[in-house]
Amino acid sequence: MTDLAGFWRHTPRLTLLAMAVLLIAGGLMAVASETAYREEKVGDVEVQTRILAATTTAALSFNDRPTAGEYLTALSASPEFEAAGVYDAGGTLFAAYTAPGMKPVPPTAEPPGHHFDDDTLTVSVPVMQDGHHIGSVSLRTELEPFARRAERYVGMALLLAMTLLIVLVLGAAQAALTRANHDLAERARDLSAANRALNAEIAERERVEAALRQSQKMEAMGQLTGGIAHDFNNLLQALSSCLQLVGRRAKEPSILPLLETGQQAIDRGAKLVQQLMAFARHQTLRPEPMDVRDRLLGMADLLTRAIRADITLETQVEPGLWPVEVDPTQFELAILNLAVNARDAMPDGGRLRVTARNRPVDGAGGDLVQVTVSDTGTGMEAEVKARVFEPFFTTKEVGKGSGLGLAQVYGFTRQSSGRVEIDSAPGRGTAVSLFLPRTAKPVAAPAKERSLDTARGAGRRLLLVEDDPIVGSMVAAALDEMGYAVLRAGNAEEALGLLNDGALRIDILFSDVVMPGVMNGIDLAHTARRLRPGLPVVLTTGYSEDIARIDGVRVLPKPYRVGELAELLEAVLATEGAGVRVR
Amino acid sequence: MEGRTLRWCSPLALSLLLVLAGGRASVASAEPLEAAVKATFLYKFIAFVSWPPGAFATADSPFRLCVEGPDPFGELLDRAVAGQRAGGRPIELMRRQQFEKGSGCHLLYGTMPMDRLRGEPVLTVSDADAPGGSAAGTVITFVLQEDRVRFVIDAAAAQGNRLAISSKLMSLAVRP
Repeated sequence: MTDLAGFWRHTPRLTLLAMAVLLIAGGLMAVASETAYREEKVGDVEVQTRILAATTTAALSFNDRPTAGEYLTALSASPEFEAAGVYDAGGTLFAAYTAPGMKPVPPTAEPPGHHFDDDTLTVSVPVMQDGHHIGSVSLRTELEPFARRAERYVGMALLLAMTLLIVLVLGAAQAALTRANHDLAERARDLSAANRALNAEIAERERVEAALRQSQKMEAMGQLTGGIAHDFNNLLQALSSCLQLVGRRAKEPSILPLLETGQQAIDRGAKLVQQLMAFARHQTLRPEPMDVRDRLLGMADLLTRAIRADITLETQVEPGLWPVEVDPTQFELAILNLAVNARDAMPDGGRLRVTARNRPVDGAGGDLVQVTVSDTGTGMEAEVKARVFEPFFTTKEVGKGSGLGLAQVYGFTRQSSGRVEIDSAPGRGTAVSLFLPRTAKPVAAPAKERSLDTARGAGRRLLLVEDDPIVGSMVAAALDEMGYAVLRAGNAEEALGLLNDGALRIDILFSDVVMPGVMNGIDLAHTARRLRPGLPVVLTTGYSEDIARIDGVRVLPKPYRVGELAELLEAVLATEGAGVRVR
Repeated sequence: MEGRTLRWCSPLALSLLLVLAGGRASVASAEPLEAAVKATFLYKFIAFVSWPPGAFATADSPFRLCVEGPDPFGELLDRAVAGQRAGGRPIELMRRQQFEKGSGCHLLYGTMPMDRLRGEPVLTVSDADAPGGSAAGTVITFVLQEDRVRFVIDAAAAQGNRLAISSKLMSLAVRP
């Protein structure tokens, strides 16, 4: 089929070639025919001339002009003979014949042979008698006029005309076919474009529907979570009150550790409820106009502590960044949650980048401020990406994450009239962007308290033992601001390792009571006092302070405010730390 | 040899032509010219006549041209045949008062009756204008028509002498 199509595509060229061949062949045939005609004519006339010469032999021999003249006159029977002449041995005209209106033969003999002049052929032959040359005869005939000869080529011309016609028809057909093909190709292109547009529309619709489904799912989850969290909060509140009442009335000391354990469980439950509330957007926010730049730069130390040493932190903030109106604490918590996730996604180290820039209004909506936390970590699959904001969804090992970090981020931004976007792919890292609406309200001047706090712990080295990295980081950041040089430990064993290092200067130990591992905060305090006598120790716990009363150990009840912590640390250092240093 | 003949013939023919074209010339000048034309004709007849096979003894026997009685040509005939050959045979001139049967003549010019030679392979020629008039029984007889030398051919006499005369020659012959 393709071969045939290829053949037909070459047809016009082939036809042209064939026509050229035909033309050349026709020309050659015409020339050959003309030549053959002339040769034949020469042969014919020569024969006739020879007959004439033979006939006139006797007349020439016996000098009989009338007879010779009679012979010549006999030629008049044929109209093709124009003139004839008999010459004697001397070349003189002996007898002549001239058809009416024709030119006579020349008066002297022509040499033997033939020649053509304008449509006439003259043949001259010698007259021989017994081996003697006794004269010559010339005969002139008219050739068939060229026009009549050309008529013979009419057939050829007809063939040529036919060929030309075929070429024209084929050419026209080819042109029509090409045009039709062109139209068809154009239609196919249009169709394919329409198909592409349709596909794009379908994809867009699917995307929108998926987004809608996701949004509805999150909404439903939020409502469910919010309802449960609210109820659980009330239950926990009631349980907590009960435990406190039991604690006041119980005189039996052995019951106290049980009460503390229960209280700690309630604390943990309250924390979870808080996070659930955050996701469900039912938490109580205290939004205030905030400078994102100040807040991010202020968090730099906090973030540095939250991540590991093999991860570098980059913070880029666009100059002239607009203010936003959000709850600063929740904002910091959201950034911290993202940083912790980024850290966990980079087990082999990498780069954590926090950027903030203005996003002027684009179409609907208002101006936004985009805060992006990106990492160079493992990234995630599309299925994971679709579910990360769901509460309790986690890819971390059991016990390593609550699955509420991103839920908090989601709830916070939604409650702050913003939105969250995730860009991630396996091996390409993850970037989470918070889009927060710009506010027109002025940012209040930073609280004076901060600057006052700063100088308090200048130069003191504090060992912080806290198993919760977020709490630890936040506390460490606060202590840092106060001027403490903070050493961190995630549990009692880690802390002991540091305490055992005699070369390491430690001015004060601040530890949580409830921690994973074989030792809790109380055990750590005892051991620390043994290892470093006189070392001031401050413990913190959610339960009442009189439970863990140890010599030289102060207890800070949870939850505490930073100011309370600062005052307590200062007080402890003033009374005990002085003695240590003196010693 | 041939070239010489041609060159010799041409002026003769030319002069003859001039004489004839000139219309009536004086008899005195016409006489020798007429004799010369006739002498030439005698020789030229040979080419248009075929003799029976037995007319020649051998393949290269000479052609015998005989003049009987008074000779009107003299030198002219000698000159006309000088160096010529008849069908490849040399020409031999013989002049006598009378030739009889078996004299070996192939062509005989005479004014006496030729009946005696009937049956012989001899081309007999006489002249109507000769003093004796034309001889009876001759094959060819010279006549003068419109001041030109022509001849009459007696086909029956030729047949009687077993001679074949070319149609070309016959076509030139005039009626008596």
